[in-house]
Amino acid sequence: MRSEAGRFVTAARQALTDTPLQDAVKRATDTAARKRDLAMFADGRDHGEALRQQAAAARHRALSQLPALLEQAEERLTANGATVLWATDDAEVCRHVQAIAARHNVQRVTKSKSMISEEVGLNDALIAAGIDVLETDLGEFIIQLAEEPPSHIVTPVIHKSKDAIRDLFVEKLGMPPTDDAQTMARFAREHLRAAFLSAEMGISGGNFIIAETGTLCLVTNEGNGRMVTTLPRVHVALVGIEKVVATLEDYALLTQVLPRSATGQALAVYTHMINGPRRPGENDGPEALYVILVDNGRSAIYETEYAEVLGCIRCGACMNACPIYEATGGHAYGWVYPGPIGAVITPLLTDLKEASPLPHASSLCGKCREVCPVDIDLPRMLLDLRRDLVNAGHTPPPWTVGIRAWSAVARSPRAFNAAARAAHIAQHALPQGRKLPLGPLGGWTASRNLPKVAAQPFRAWWAAREKARDRDEQS
Amino acid sequence: MSSRDAILRKLRAAQTPFADAPPPDPHLPVVPLDTGNRAALIERFIAQAEALSSAIHRCASPDEAHAAILRVIAPDERVLCWDFAHIPLPGLDAALDRAGIAVAPPGDASARVGITGADAALAATGSLVISSGPGKARQVSLLPLVHIAVVRVDQIVPHMEAWIAALRAAGTDAFAAASSTVIVSGPSRTADIAMELILGMHGPGALHIVLLDSEAQP
Repeated sequence: MRSEAGRFVTAARQALTDTPLQDAVKRATDTAARKRDLAMFADGRDHGEALRQQAAAARHRALSQLPALLEQAEERLTANGATVLWATDDAEVCRHVQAIAARHNVQRVTKSKSMISEEVGLNDALIAAGIDVLETDLGEFIIQLAEEPPSHIVTPVIHKSKDAIRDLFVEKLGMPPTDDAQTMARFAREHLRAAFLSAEMGISGGNFIIAETGTLCLVTNEGNGRMVTTLPRVHVALVGIEKVVATLEDYALLTQVLPRSATGQALAVYTHMINGPRRPGENDGPEALYVILVDNGRSAIYETEYAEVLGCIRCGACMNACPIYEATGGHAYGWVYPGPIGAVITPLLTDLKEASPLPHASSLCGKCREVCPVDIDLPRMLLDLRRDLVNAGHTPPPWTVGIRAWSAVARSPRAFNAAARAAHIAQHALPQGRKLPLGPLGGWTASRNLPKVAAQPFRAWWAAREKARDRDEQS
Repeated sequence: MSSRDAILRKLRAAQTPFADAPPPDPHLPVVPLDTGNRAALIERFIAQAEALSSAIHRCASPDEAHAAILRVIAPDERVLCWDFAHIPLPGLDAALDRAGIAVAPPGDASARVGITGADAALAATGSLVISSGPGKARQVSLLPLVHIAVVRVDQIVPHMEAWIAALRAAGTDAFAAASSTVIVSGPSRTADIAMELILGMHGPGALHIVLLDSEAQP
């Protein structure tokens, strides 16, 4: 998927005028955030915090042994009967999947939700190869019908109202009109059931791979993940190389913390562990299982001070907690991963310059780290990315000029004093309140009130105060 | 160089992040429970399963369990079912037979009800652990709108951590031998339409857990 992160400011401004969007996103994120708190702290805040630290340690341990764990995972997966493939980039992922489809004579593919498949643009690649691709997670199915990208990694249609979904089903699928969400879901169930039963290949993502046992792990609620990994002849799983964990015990911890953090569930409805294709004597399950280990920019992150972000387990809690995400929704971020995690990994996985607005799409309130189940220091990385942007020269010219001017003035007490006095006098000449017509600074001032400059600079006030105190003490 | 080698070489060339990560220590269970109190664990399992919209049928005898199952199946005359050897309920085959209920062939996608056993039940979360194998088709707990799972009370373990510890004690080969193991927590669901909770999205919309008192075992 091509990044449109460079359009963030324009897209965010549009989103800010879209009241139905903001209502839908606010309602959904508020609910999810409240459920997350209830679930994480079900046995007390201290216990919840201890779980976070434990989960962070499990991810750190996995990252510290990443190459060895990947080799172990490959060996165990292969021993379990899976075929392991590696892909350095998006094109290689698509080539692998196209080749598998050709080898197994596949015409129809059903998919459960995979954010990596969005990263690499897999659907378009399969369609180009003449293969039908159907998303089966209800949310993904809806956005596929609407021809939109997902706007949240857990609830992809968080931006759509019930009415909008109804209209889409009526228009594209001929559903009889209804206002009942249950009826809409049942309609989608019937529609997709036929596809599940006829597809020759199922594609899934992977939430974890357990290295010691060679187990591919999925977390789903709807059952579509089980369908696409059970019914078709071939199952292909796309898994980021960072998703490997060392042991069953680490997995048990993380697979419980993930749904607590994502949706407030103690466990997802289906916590699925796959140890290979159908075995002799079984009468269902895929005949072939392929696991594609996908790099696509991750090994480059591994070498940097941003390696910590590879610990992310994609729960979406940072989105649900973020005031910026709540105001703009997910599409404004312009790529697969929105919200605070997207503001960090989009610049790292795509192009720093194109994604230059994203590290600034944060008030640095710190809530994203606070709710992160693996305690990733997202605010620190947002700041470091801002520094990288400056060092790489990816800052707008007025911003650079402004900061240089400020720096020169702030370093000289005399200049600083003079500027403070000048500002005090000059403020009377400016209109008060919002939307100052300050030319190139308009982007900054349009949404902020100019602070009132004090009648007397602080240094003058301090000097006068000291003088008065001396006088009092002498008398 | 292959992509595999290129990726691994790059990872190996990097300075190892979190080289000081603490060694694995026994995790705190995510749900702290008094694991010694059997009665409390059973109660917890029932309460949690019901909170997930599963229906619990606690039965003191196989006859009671047969009756409960037949009530759920009615008025159908055909069900999907695991091999009876994997369902810990004596006499189920005869009971179905007497009621005129046939077992549909594997792969029959039209049956409304599927009957399975389970490997274990988790008290902490009201969940069932269900692995696949010969005679234990995955579809039976997936395709039908109604899933009936038969579990003995002594299959209840405290939580996922306890289940993993038992796997570890038995050797992980037995775990790896099952091509699919799924921990089922309630009927399938979605909240994708305006955050409204809907049961029965793609998997079953109803989960009936027939909980058989252990003394009922022959």
